Amino acid sequence: MSKRVQARNEAARLLREQEAAQRRRQRTLWTAAIAVAALVLAGIVGWGVYQNQHSGDYTTPKGAVANGAGLPVSDGPVTVDVYYDYMCPFCKQFEQSSASALDQWMSQGKVKLVLHPLGFLDRYSNGTQYSTRSAAAAACANDGGKLWEYSKALYDQQPKEGSNGLSDDQLIQIGGGVGLVDPSFATCVRDGTYHSWVGHANDEAAKRKINSTPTVFVNGQKIDPTVSALTSAVEAAGK
Amino acid sequence: MAPWLGTLCRLVLAGVFLVAGGAKVGDLAESGRAVNAYQLMPYGVATVVGAALPFVEIVLGLLLLVGVATRLAAGVAATLLVVFVAGISSAWARGLRIECGCFGGGGQLAADASPTYGPEIARDLLFLVLAGFLLAYPRTRFSVDDMLAGSGER
Repeated sequence: MSKRVQARNEAARLLREQEAAQRRRQRTLWTAAIAVAALVLAGIVGWGVYQNQHSGDYTTPKGAVANGAGLPVSDGPVTVDVYYDYMCPFCKQFEQSSASALDQWMSQGKVKLVLHPLGFLDRYSNGTQYSTRSAAAAACANDGGKLWEYSKALYDQQPKEGSNGLSDDQLIQIGGGVGLVDPSFATCVRDGTYHSWVGHANDEAAKRKINSTPTVFVNGQKIDPTVSALTSAVEAAGK
Repeated sequence: MAPWLGTLCRLVLAGVFLVAGGAKVGDLAESGRAVNAYQLMPYGVATVVGAALPFVEIVLGLLLLVGVATRLAAGVAATLLVVFVAGISSAWARGLRIECGCFGGGGQLAADASPTYGPEIARDLLFLVLAGFLLAYPRTRFSVDDMLAGSGER
């Protein structure tokens, strides 16, 4: 082979290698661009889905406090806010240990008890969204003037975390047991009238940096969710 | 050896992100509350992050699973993990009582449970090592990247 042919072959080989390297770079660039586009699109889709689920339209229950999320069950000079979830065992514990004290203060006109039922624990009812359904049913009970009684009755029959929760029929039946016999209560529960309101209540609670239940405030001051902390805070505030 | 180890790293990370995203995608409002529980941004921003993150994690998991744009995907994974570690550390430093929300949950910690920041950070650091390996050796077996490159151009 002559020197000239050798040089020509060498040049051709170099050219081929350069072209191959160029193609590799382009391919890497393209796949990276597609990957980035897919990731960005995924984020936008997520935001869109959330916006869609969270339409912002909700019905405010009767007599709710200013932000539309708290439901007062009594009136008095000392305000007690309780944020809770009917699926949460510690909420039940708090409610059952403090109910008699609260009843006493309410009968004496000392305490304005504001209940904030939330739907934080929907994950623990096998997709039946018991937290949201029970909180929505509580808003129905509020409209029937029996929220406090209904709350106690719901806690009495609190389902285990991880179960399906109580059915809508059971939620209605428990209402009947505390005197919510008007058919409008059953309709309200069955139609999920307050489902989207629970989303609003969750938002309002989250804005107040509440990420666990129960969370209790006495005159706007956060306290430990125990009956002893509640008693001392209410007595101090009532002086 | 590195391409096979890389495949392993890629598949493990893919599984982690697919599971993490899948666990959160069913309740985007809860995901937003979990982000909000870190108290690092206003609630409105936290809901955007919380809604977008599960979908991003799932797509990232898919990219890693099939091995397309591996180096970029590993870089994104590493970035996310660094942000998660920073978030958990800052929650720890500020004495917040939250659950990381990494695999679902609204950040709520049961009243009788203690936070487990240490193990959560250790776990994320382990994943970060895998992502780091992929950043260094992005060429892995059984990947779309490998297929596209073709046998003649290795």
